[in-house]
Amino acid sequence: MENFTNETIDTSQLPKFEEVQFTVLHPNYWKVTLISCFILIVFICSGMLLGLIFIKEFSEFQSELMSLTIVLIVLILLFSRIAFRKKRFAFRNHDVLFRHGIIATNTIVIPYNRIQHVALHEGLVSRYFGLAKIEIFTAGGSASNIEIPGIEKEQAENIKQLLMGKIQKQL
Amino acid sequence: MSTDFSQPQRQSVVGILVLFFYSLQQYGRALWPIIVIWIFKFDEVNKMYLLLGGILVFVAIAVVSYLKYLNFTFFLDTINEEFIITEGVFNKTKTAIQLDKIQQVNINQSFVQRLIGVYELDVDTAGTNKKEGAIKAISHELALELKSRLLQNEVKKSTSEAEESHFGKSIEKQLEEEHPFIKISFLSLLKIGITSNYGRSISLLLLFLITVSDYIKKITGRDVFHDENIENYVDKNLVIQTFFIFIILLLSTVLVINLVRIVFKYYDYNITRQKGSLLLSFGLLNTKSTIIKPEKVQITTVTSNYFQKKMNILELKIRQATSGEKEERKSAIEIPGCSVSESDAILQLLFRKIPKKGVMLKPNFRKLGFSLFLSIGLPLSGFGAFGYWVMPVVFEYGYLVPIYIILVGFVQFFRFKNSRLFIDDHFIIKQSGAWDISNEIIEPTKIQAITTSQLFWHKNLNIGSITLHTAGGEISFQLGNFTTIKKYVNLWLYEIETSNSNWM
Repeated sequence: MENFTNETIDTSQLPKFEEVQFTVLHPNYWKVTLISCFILIVFICSGMLLGLIFIKEFSEFQSELMSLTIVLIVLILLFSRIAFRKKRFAFRNHDVLFRHGIIATNTIVIPYNRIQHVALHEGLVSRYFGLAKIEIFTAGGSASNIEIPGIEKEQAENIKQLLMGKIQKQL
Repeated sequence: MSTDFSQPQRQSVVGILVLFFYSLQQYGRALWPIIVIWIFKFDEVNKMYLLLGGILVFVAIAVVSYLKYLNFTFFLDTINEEFIITEGVFNKTKTAIQLDKIQQVNINQSFVQRLIGVYELDVDTAGTNKKEGAIKAISHELALELKSRLLQNEVKKSTSEAEESHFGKSIEKQLEEEHPFIKISFLSLLKIGITSNYGRSISLLLLFLITVSDYIKKITGRDVFHDENIENYVDKNLVIQTFFIFIILLLSTVLVINLVRIVFKYYDYNITRQKGSLLLSFGLLNTKSTIIKPEKVQITTVTSNYFQKKMNILELKIRQATSGEKEERKSAIEIPGCSVSESDAILQLLFRKIPKKGVMLKPNFRKLGFSLFLSIGLPLSGFGAFGYWVMPVVFEYGYLVPIYIILVGFVQFFRFKNSRLFIDDHFIIKQSGAWDISNEIIEPTKIQAITTSQLFWHKNLNIGSITLHTAGGEISFQLGNFTTIKKYVNLWLYEIETSNSNWM
């Protein structure tokens, strides 16, 4: 299978998607993630506290519950950090690439001429930091859509414009 | 005559009422347990608080719907030819839809909307099955006008399409004479009936038996399967004989059910050519008919098993791209019981050439290990743990464990052995299955997006997975040689991006 040949194209000369320089998400997006983690942690802790106060049986396992909560919090933070670090994107001339995943490295590529439409989301917290999320839709169902969070609002607007331009040119 | 859609517009003012009712409905659905509790404890709760709370909730919803109304705007960007919807109070979303990409614009009216006298306008593209853009409250004239403006490009497109089809006609006519139609004979249906869907029929039968025995138990108060009387009737020598008779009976029932089902569903299956499309009609009681347009075909699956191969028979499944409802999208068109030559004729029609199996990719042996772990390791350790800590009684059925291991082991081994990806210049064929071996055929031009995936401990082994997304579903191949996979991904991307091929 290694000596695949093709009369017209030299496959080894094709641009390689795996060698593309990816852009990392905006550092402020980590703050956004931290805030949503914090809200989650507050919920977990208050649940735990309520349990300790109102359910008598729980007080016997006080230390176990405490350590469980701490482990949970550490895991949440750790995985959020890894997920944040591993999310990255790239826009090439003809396609958009997005890389994500904690234990697996997933790379999804969408050629511009397969994009159906684009949406720009601004969450409450993200807006405070001037960030936006771009969602790119194809006809291939939800598994083949890309969501790129943590892009500066202005840049996101530009990217959206660029994508819309690219879609149009293809037709 | 024309309203200016190029400036951001709000919905009809009365639309606030629609939004209010929809929000009310939404919160009502989310909060119904609390509401139910309130109703039941109506006497205990201070009525003053209840009233105040109710008013507060209503006011809050009213404010929210007013804000939603204020923040919802839509407009047509005439320069970039796109339709833009902005929505959301706290979390803002801006959806931009290229006018060319709009497939359908629907104007609907729900009960609430009818009461208020407004309409709903839905914009649908070929993308995800949910509506891409929906305007909840718009007057009828405005809706009609917007619809015509949104679909202006559609008219242009369809005229050019008509011209194209005119050109292609002379070639098609020649082909038409070669393949007038295919008719699936009763014999083929019988063959398919006795060779396919064992799993489904057996599970249906088991379900039936369990229901019947349950029913008898309820009526007579006796357990059919553990009845002492039956054991007394049966002589010890006869036990094995009855067991075999039972098995044979079971198998023949499965076969008969299968046969009847297949014959009822697919009786008189006719395939006709019509202007380059395939026209299918089938059914004994109610005749169904469907059209397959070759350019809309996304995934074609050819399935056959050992017996079917011996009888020169196979099943075809065709998935088309649809922008319609979810059910329509999921369902595939089935052509049961073609001979190899007939299926080749159909494939020839769909692809203009017969798909070839090109370069072969094999999965790494770790794929077998992982699926054995999932299907044998996990269930058995679950069984062990359950028996050890909860109910030691289950160990009495321990003799089933080796049978399970052998059975599942065989299935997983054949599944691994048959898992292949064939790559040709014009076709990608994925082979899979343990007993029923299916070949999923797609053309590289139908690919919408490509996902590659690699676990970090597979990096040094250089193995990884690939998923090809099409508008009719996706096909994926696990743990192949990652260098080869990446090479083909680059090639396919190049092919997709350099041509403006029509995938639908």
